[in-house]
Amino acid sequence: MAERGGESRGQVPGWAFVLLSLAGVVFALTLVPRVASGEVLRVAIPWLPSFGVQFSFFVDGLSLLFALLITGIGVFIGLYARAYMHGHAQTGAFFCYLIFFQASMLGLVLADNIITLFVFWELTTVSSFLLIGFDHASEKARRNAWQALLVTGAGGLALLAGLLLLAQAGGSMELSELMTAESGVQEHPLYLGILVLILLGAFTKSAQVPFHFWLPNAMAAPTPVSAYLHSATMVKAGIYLLARVHPSLSGTPEWIWTLTIFGAVTAVWASIVAMRQTDLKLALAYTTVMALGTLTMFLGSEAHIAITAAMTFLVVHCLYKSALFMVIGIIDHETGTREVDRLGGLFRAMPITAVAAAAAAFSMAGFPPFLGFIGKELKYEGALAVASEPLLVAGAAIAANALMVGLAAVVAIRPFYGAPRTYDRTPHRPPFGMWIGPVFMALLGLTFGVGPEYVGNLLINPAANAVAGIQKDVKFALWHGVNIPLMMSILTVALGVAVFIFSDTLRRWLASALGHLLTGDEAYDGVKGAILKLADVQTAILQNGSLRRYLFVVFAVTAAGVGGTLIAEGGMAWPALWPDVPIYEWAIVVLIAAGAVVPMAARSRLAGICGLGTVGSGVALIFLIYGAPDVAKTQLLVEVLFVVMISVVFLKLPRFAETTHPPKRGRLGDLTLAAISGGVMTLMTLAVLDTPLNDHLTKYFEANSVPGGQGGNIVNVILVDFRALDTFGEIVVVAVAALGAFGLIKLRSTRAGGS
Amino acid sequence: MSWLLVLPIAIPMATAVLALLVRKQHIMERYVSAGGGAALFVATVVLLAAVWQDGTLVGRMGNWPPPFGIVLVADLFSAVMVLIAGLTGLLIVIFALATVDVERERFAFHSFYHILLGGVCGAFLTGDVFNLYVWFEVMLISSFALIALGGEKAQLDGAVKYAAINLVSTILFLTSIGLLYGATGTLNMAELNQAVRAVENQGLIDAIAIMFLIAFGIKAAVFPLFFWLPASYHTPPVAVTAIFAALMTKVGVYALFRMFTLVFTNDLALTHTVMLVVAALTMITGVLGAAAHTDIRRILSFHIVSQIGYMVLGLALFTPLALVGGVFYLIHHIIVKANLFLIGGVIKRVAGSFDLNRLGGLYLSHPVLAVMFLIPAFSLAGFPPLSGFWAKLILIKASLDLEEYLIAGVALVVGLLTIYSMTKIWIQAFWKPLPADGAPAGPAPLSGFERVALYTPIIVMCAVTVTIGIWVEPFFVFAERAAQELIEPAGYVAAVLGGGPR
Amino acid sequence: MEVLLAVLVGWLFGAAVYLMLSRSLVRYLFGLVLISNAANLAIFASGRLTRGAPALVPDGLTAPAEVVANALPQALILTAIVIGFGLLAFAFVLAYRAHDELGTVDTDAMRVAEPIAEEKPVPAASGRETAV
Repeated sequence: MAERGGESRGQVPGWAFVLLSLAGVVFALTLVPRVASGEVLRVAIPWLPSFGVQFSFFVDGLSLLFALLITGIGVFIGLYARAYMHGHAQTGAFFCYLIFFQASMLGLVLADNIITLFVFWELTTVSSFLLIGFDHASEKARRNAWQALLVTGAGGLALLAGLLLLAQAGGSMELSELMTAESGVQEHPLYLGILVLILLGAFTKSAQVPFHFWLPNAMAAPTPVSAYLHSATMVKAGIYLLARVHPSLSGTPEWIWTLTIFGAVTAVWASIVAMRQTDLKLALAYTTVMALGTLTMFLGSEAHIAITAAMTFLVVHCLYKSALFMVIGIIDHETGTREVDRLGGLFRAMPITAVAAAAAAFSMAGFPPFLGFIGKELKYEGALAVASEPLLVAGAAIAANALMVGLAAVVAIRPFYGAPRTYDRTPHRPPFGMWIGPVFMALLGLTFGVGPEYVGNLLINPAANAVAGIQKDVKFALWHGVNIPLMMSILTVALGVAVFIFSDTLRRWLASALGHLLTGDEAYDGVKGAILKLADVQTAILQNGSLRRYLFVVFAVTAAGVGGTLIAEGGMAWPALWPDVPIYEWAIVVLIAAGAVVPMAARSRLAGICGLGTVGSGVALIFLIYGAPDVAKTQLLVEVLFVVMISVVFLKLPRFAETTHPPKRGRLGDLTLAAISGGVMTLMTLAVLDTPLNDHLTKYFEANSVPGGQGGNIVNVILVDFRALDTFGEIVVVAVAALGAFGLIKLRSTRAGGS
Repeated sequence: MSWLLVLPIAIPMATAVLALLVRKQHIMERYVSAGGGAALFVATVVLLAAVWQDGTLVGRMGNWPPPFGIVLVADLFSAVMVLIAGLTGLLIVIFALATVDVERERFAFHSFYHILLGGVCGAFLTGDVFNLYVWFEVMLISSFALIALGGEKAQLDGAVKYAAINLVSTILFLTSIGLLYGATGTLNMAELNQAVRAVENQGLIDAIAIMFLIAFGIKAAVFPLFFWLPASYHTPPVAVTAIFAALMTKVGVYALFRMFTLVFTNDLALTHTVMLVVAALTMITGVLGAAAHTDIRRILSFHIVSQIGYMVLGLALFTPLALVGGVFYLIHHIIVKANLFLIGGVIKRVAGSFDLNRLGGLYLSHPVLAVMFLIPAFSLAGFPPLSGFWAKLILIKASLDLEEYLIAGVALVVGLLTIYSMTKIWIQAFWKPLPADGAPAGPAPLSGFERVALYTPIIVMCAVTVTIGIWVEPFFVFAERAAQELIEPAGYVAAVLGGGPR
Repeated sequence: MEVLLAVLVGWLFGAAVYLMLSRSLVRYLFGLVLISNAANLAIFASGRLTRGAPALVPDGLTAPAEVVANALPQALILTAIVIGFGLLAFAFVLAYRAHDELGTVDTDAMRVAEPIAEEKPVPAASGRETAV
């Protein structure tokens, strides 16, 4: 597995990623004081100013919080991934994708202009695609990468439309302006459409039910990717967007109900499904979905405390979830399995990891003195403050949290304690790079929990204020006294312990109860299959390989389109009918008409050729009678050449009687279409004849033919002088036809090199 | 300055003749062909610069005043189309040097190729509707020659269908010109601008307009007239397909833009509504057709159809912004689509197949090619910040501005299906390991010359795609000015009929 | 006579459409000949007819002395006839070569480029494994 070349190739991008992240953290930290004091930093470079697009960014509390999470976790993910990917042949590409992702994600949360935001939004989708499918030899990785791309891509397109409409309704393309001014978007007739489209984008990206299925599938990615993109950062992009548009879109019943219901359903459903999983990584993935649901639910509210709860939980979740993902990655790395039933007794082999896992799990479960506890208290406080439906929100929060307590216990206890198992490889202590991340995250969770004032005042309050659009600082403290949220916490813990004790039973019961429900994943396959089926059917009908059919459609469209327009638009006109036409001209016309029928009816090709000859000669006669002797001559000449050519070619071709006649029914259809087509052409010509001819061109040619063109034959002068360019093109056509025919005859496929 | 207008026609024609004369000396012929391509490109750059600086250029052929003689006219739209033709013409001929076999070259491949370019440029530049017909024919006959040259079974099959349907289009076009002349008495496009309005029987003009729409619609491969394209584009050598994909349908689109901005704007409620429906159906049917196939060339062919829908959409909406989108889309699409076909050609060359079921593993074996594929593929799919993103963005914004929500939705959904198709190629050809029954590897590793000739055009076109994406403002401003000239044709008319020759 | 020509144009056009809809490539080509004639006649009629007076300027004059036939459509038709002949000739050779290689002139039997047993795309679930 170890390949020295790949290893050294991966070193530079790996360190680059770590150092870039570190630089990002430092830079973001320097901005904290200014932003915490309420300052908003802006920078803008014109990008497509004619279209209102600027490459513009702004930093307020919300974007800074996200930026810190993205870069800060990035540092440890980088260290972790260097060890995790050790020896992989494509480590270099891996870190390049990670850098690409990090830059896109930062761009997303810092963007001011909606188009700039969208650009980075899509780039996170692309980088996520490349990273999920990183293990591209695996069919599962390929499929799931594709699924994530298509689901989030679909949401992205809805988002684009939503953002464009939002800009239209709000009168600006800059988020900072849309959010501060009383944009009046909520009174706009398009409000509902804007809301739906933007929510589609946010819900797909942030894996809300029913679009959640791609996220667990995205666990096909290497664990550092899962820890970074698919729990801590990218999946929060939708949450970020909801928070970002909160000031201008929130507060309406549509907003409140949609977010509350989708969030609550997602949170509860995901935690139930999480309990079902035996693969710890998948279980964690579902708890991520649960967390995203919770965040959405709280962002549905107007209450400041609810928003603060959301921002706090955001930080809490990022810390413990990335730590736990890394822990699972370590376990997987050291034992070769992530199945909870096959794990146990690892404490002895990796005590540091076990402690880190326990600390992260405490935070996840919301135990004091971890930040998770504060987060949970705030959540309950926020839930009770939700104006519309506090019981629903609180109930959902308690249910989800109780299941989380149970799961946290499963993750932190089951692999490390109990009887040691036998594994494919002997587990030993993971390298420094792998355990430092979880340990640091867990420590942060503890530090922030013990002394929440700094993080609260410097990061969370500014973020919450940016979202709520008002300045109102919540006091962060570990101990709030005995109040209703504390009672709810105690209830949660009791329920959670019960869940842990009965986790196996619960899982079995859930498996049998939920086994047959339609999953989003199946729905995705169903929709995709249906579209492909439609594509097949449509293509089989339209592009069926039959020239006859193609031509039928073309002629039918022509007849219906041209004829229909002429009639519908009242273009039909009848010039004076049946003027005085000598009998011999009648005869010529009848002859031509008869000649045209011969090839239609004749079974013999000779008769057909004679018919065509009659038509050609007849037409030449008409030219001759009506003052066009040159045309007539050319027509006859062409006629002769045509007969010669046809005779030569036909010596080779079979009697075409064999394939002359289509089946009876088809023939009737052909005849009908032919009759209509002919009729339309006649009507068109008649209508043209009814308009007076403006002959100023001809008059000019007649007057200038001799003086300017030096020729008495006006037709010739037109050809060689007035419209000489036509004649040039005409010569080219004939030359190419000859040359092309020559090549066609001489160059056989056996001689050409192609396959 | 009318010589500037003649050069894009004269240079390819002269190159064709010269290439024919020296075809016995094979190397010489190739130098002539590449040199001619380069000369054409330079000439087109000069032309565009001149038009940008001095405004619409008008050249009177034979020095007869319009509308009596034929005029060549280059407004910004024409000039940029000529430039793009010159650029793709040069790049694809370089690609052809490494891919087209000696036998085809011996039978005048290069001459046909340059005459095709000349015909395309003529069509872009002429200001006379019958002369447009002549250039269409020049283009058509050389495309016949190119598509059939080599005489492989599939080629001949494809060529028959290609020819059979395009000949119908030709006849319809010719007949419409006759009728239009009978109704208005003129062939000069600038004069037609007013002449069609002077006709009393506007119903007749509408019907003639629809006839033009159908004739050009066949050329442009819109629904439901596109059959010839997916039936034939995958049969000739890739260089031929690439130049067809870049220019042939686009001449049809150009003609639609020209005639339906300059001439047939008298009944927008009819013509442009029809186009809107056509655009939607073209986008949808094309992209679904692509979803149903696994041959790279056929997928790409169907995508041409689908993308034409976007361009027609720009024309159909008929607002300044929509036309900007249409022009922008045309420019972007020509580069990207030609590039994708060339990349398909390289895949065939190095992996031995066009069939996704038989391909695989290119991500590891040809990483550079993989990156080169992602750029145009993601651009076509509309991912930012590549050229296709802006093109789609402008059109969607234009639709939303007009409250045409349905068409905006169609454009977005088709965008998603385009992502599907492009990533399908990526996943199957690049990511998937080579299947056991996969195509045997290419016959031989690329020679140094092949490496240069295959990759240079691809890299240049990738660079253009990225440049348009990143540095989009000048392109937008350009498209804006070009669109402005289109939507207010008074300037064009005055340049041709009012002002003297420059 | 113009009216009569208009009817004739429609007649030829109709006959041509019927022939071109045939499965036989040969009949398609016959139709092509007819439809070209129809188009030329349409142009001719559109330019209006003048009996027996070719568009000539007599020697010594600078313009025709009397009303002569409309010269412009004639010039257009001449160009169209020649171009049409070039295309037709090539089309004939193409048909001939197609028959040579494919062994048929029945276009419904020409299924090399678009085979009847169209390869089915890899089914939707190309990479599907039991998902969670």
